[in-house]
Amino acid sequence: MGNMAYKRLAGVCIMALLAFGLAGCTGGGGMVPVTESQGNMAQQGSVELKKNAEAVAGSAGGSEDGKTEKDSVIVVMGPNSEPESGFDPAFGWGAGEHVHEPLIQSTLTVTTKDLKIDYDLATDIKVSEDGLTWTVTIRDGVIFSDNSPLTAADVAFTYNMLRDTSSVNDFTMLKEAKALDDTTVEFTLNRPYSIWPYTMAITGVVPEHAYGPDYGSMPVGSGRYILKQWDKGQQAIFEANPDYYGEAPKMKKVTILFMDEDAAYAAALSGQVDVSYTSAAFSEQPIDGYELFSCDTVDNRGFNLPAVPSGEINENGVPLGNDFTCDLQVRRAVNMALDREEMIAHVLNGHGTAAYSVCDKMPWYQPQSETNYDPDRAAELLEESGWIPGRDGIREKDGVRAEFGLLYPVGDSVRQALAEETANQLADFGIRVNVEGVGWDTAYDRAQSTPLMWGWGAHTPMELYNIYHTSASGGYAEYSPYANGQVDTYMEEALACADTEASYELWKKAQWDGVTGITQDGDVPWIWLVNIDHLYWVKSGLRIAEQKLHPHGHGWSVVNNVDQWTWE
Amino acid sequence: MKTSGKSSMLKRVGSRSAYGKRKAGFPGNRRLATTVLLVLTVCFLAAVTIMGYFWQEEAVRTDFSRKNLPPCVLYPFGTDWMGRDMFMRTITGLSFSIRIGLLTAAVSAGIAFFSGLAAVVMGKLVNDLVLLFIDVVMGIPHMLLLILISFACGRGFWGVVAGIAFTHWASLARLIRGEVLQLKQSQYVKIAERLGKSRRYIAFCHLAPNLISQFVTGLILLFPHAILHEASITFLGFGLSPEKPAIGIILAESMKYLAMGKWWIALFPGLFLVVVVLLFHYAGQSVCRLIDPGSVHE
Repeated sequence: MGNMAYKRLAGVCIMALLAFGLAGCTGGGGMVPVTESQGNMAQQGSVELKKNAEAVAGSAGGSEDGKTEKDSVIVVMGPNSEPESGFDPAFGWGAGEHVHEPLIQSTLTVTTKDLKIDYDLATDIKVSEDGLTWTVTIRDGVIFSDNSPLTAADVAFTYNMLRDTSSVNDFTMLKEAKALDDTTVEFTLNRPYSIWPYTMAITGVVPEHAYGPDYGSMPVGSGRYILKQWDKGQQAIFEANPDYYGEAPKMKKVTILFMDEDAAYAAALSGQVDVSYTSAAFSEQPIDGYELFSCDTVDNRGFNLPAVPSGEINENGVPLGNDFTCDLQVRRAVNMALDREEMIAHVLNGHGTAAYSVCDKMPWYQPQSETNYDPDRAAELLEESGWIPGRDGIREKDGVRAEFGLLYPVGDSVRQALAEETANQLADFGIRVNVEGVGWDTAYDRAQSTPLMWGWGAHTPMELYNIYHTSASGGYAEYSPYANGQVDTYMEEALACADTEASYELWKKAQWDGVTGITQDGDVPWIWLVNIDHLYWVKSGLRIAEQKLHPHGHGWSVVNNVDQWTWE
Repeated sequence: MKTSGKSSMLKRVGSRSAYGKRKAGFPGNRRLATTVLLVLTVCFLAAVTIMGYFWQEEAVRTDFSRKNLPPCVLYPFGTDWMGRDMFMRTITGLSFSIRIGLLTAAVSAGIAFFSGLAAVVMGKLVNDLVLLFIDVVMGIPHMLLLILISFACGRGFWGVVAGIAFTHWASLARLIRGEVLQLKQSQYVKIAERLGKSRRYIAFCHLAPNLISQFVTGLILLFPHAILHEASITFLGFGLSPEKPAIGIILAESMKYLAMGKWWIALFPGLFLVVVVLLFHYAGQSVCRLIDPGSVHE
């Protein structure tokens, strides 16, 4: 009996082992598909590349004999650059979170290299005295890629449609767009909006007769390029528009591939692409046959410092404010305590410039924003305002510890490193910073009470308004609790100004007018750290023309002027 | 020295074990070796766990003046792109994995034990319910269920714990249920029933003690499983925030740097993960061998 029981137990034990052995196998199997599928993807990617390489060789037409000039280019962008809902301005193509020229469609205006306004479709722009009526004359004889003419009615349709449907860009200031005749369109605004031309510079004009739900995947436009093919998740192929009204594009074919950073690096390493985006981490190892192109940007990184004490909640029940960062002297000290140059050397391997505002180098930038690194004065400021080092070296005042959390979006290694570097630098001043990764689902709400590492930068002064102006719903600015009536007033005046260029002065005053503002001598509700250079591997011999300052978003901006690129 | 210690141990084991004496040859030899190795394994794992626990601060400390260093005397596993010490990070990650493994394996095994027992003892309805749950859990792909649960539980530490704990009990529960079914047919249980003992009494006084060896083995063999799944879920980014030193996060990060030739960021953490998992597997098997009466002669 006893022996039987033992045998049975032994049997059961073996069964258990087997069962777990098997379970172990399936567990392992759970992991395998992941790597397998990645392997497959990588393979697909390389197959795709080969195909492209062949296609390019074909289209270059006898590049072997060396007589015909090569007129095609393959550009690699990150997977996030692929427009999810297609090439439709209503879903953010060109006019979304990351602004750029829409290539396929034409815009009424364009931004120049110094980020002032020039004409594209427009031939003349008039604005009424009260700033509420904009009359735009457009070119005659422009045709869409389906051979139908582009008229003022299409322009009016585009803007009215965007006003009604766009969820990614702000068109609330537009009351109505109306076509007066075939070449004149009149915009009536709800409120004065002096920087309307900057909105016109990113809004691609779509044809009224060919616009529908599937426009995004089959766009018809009047721009420099035509979308020839779009393989979702892989590539988009553009060809020059033969009917383009302006100077004919020099690059006849542009292929955009969407790849992760390491795949993009590998693609450049194997010489299969012409331009490949990269980051500072990859920039240290040169690739034969490629040059590292570093483009200046206003793609800035900085963190918000909630400027009110904790305790309040907003209408959505989100807690506002922070007891440490609400102290003005603390914010000033932090701004001076950060050594931006060291940060650039450490985190960006030197590929960046110090940032002092959200709009560095823009025509509306207030030079007074610049703050010198001054560790002694920073420490002094903290002492003077009563923040005294406690037992563990962390400063304290009235029971509040000099401590704050610094959030960064998960998956963004540059912002993570900037947050860590900020924490390291502030540790020397007796300020403790707890770095924490968050998803965007919770980041906006948490940023109301905890500083978050943001990225901003666009070719419009609205960026200032979005960040510093109090929102319509609450008493504070939208992204971080802060309010200054004088700053609000200047920005409202700037928007009401009839002359766009004259409004720049008011935007500058909003930042600092000599008495109050958002700079170091003002309220410093945000600390700006660096503008991140956009880095690209560019094949030797490819001239990618003169680039504008890139805005936030390491993607389509580089091909803004792809029609001007040339091969040597 | 080693042999003398061994022989004295042998004598003791031999004199205690009636079976050993009768079988002669090398009584208790295998058991002793197993015991020694098991103790070493447990010591190693405990050391990793404790060291990692105390290095939590150090493991997340960044120092940009020492970034991207290959393995050297000062940093045996090298440093990463933010100058974090990969040795400390690896040990802390493993320590975290082991602690999560301990917690989840215990919870999982507990669930398995009680549901397996309840299925048989508490009547048809409970039996059907338990079988249904087992089928549901085993029917959905493991990783998928894990992601769903940890997402629903708010991700983070507790999300990972809940996800792993609630997905790993099913196969052990099925095993225990089978064993209980079998035990229920044995004479002494039937006699106890006739004597009018309550179901609960039978379950805990007659059945439970017989399940201990399955339970303990199952518990320990759940570890490697739990650890691998913790690594996979953090690798996929559903678990913890990326500054935390979890082994999956480290491996996920290292992927990016492999293309740049920074092999050390992936190699050592990966290797150590495998070592720890194998050690747990070995420990489970040893414990099974030691407490299983059927293998007492070896």
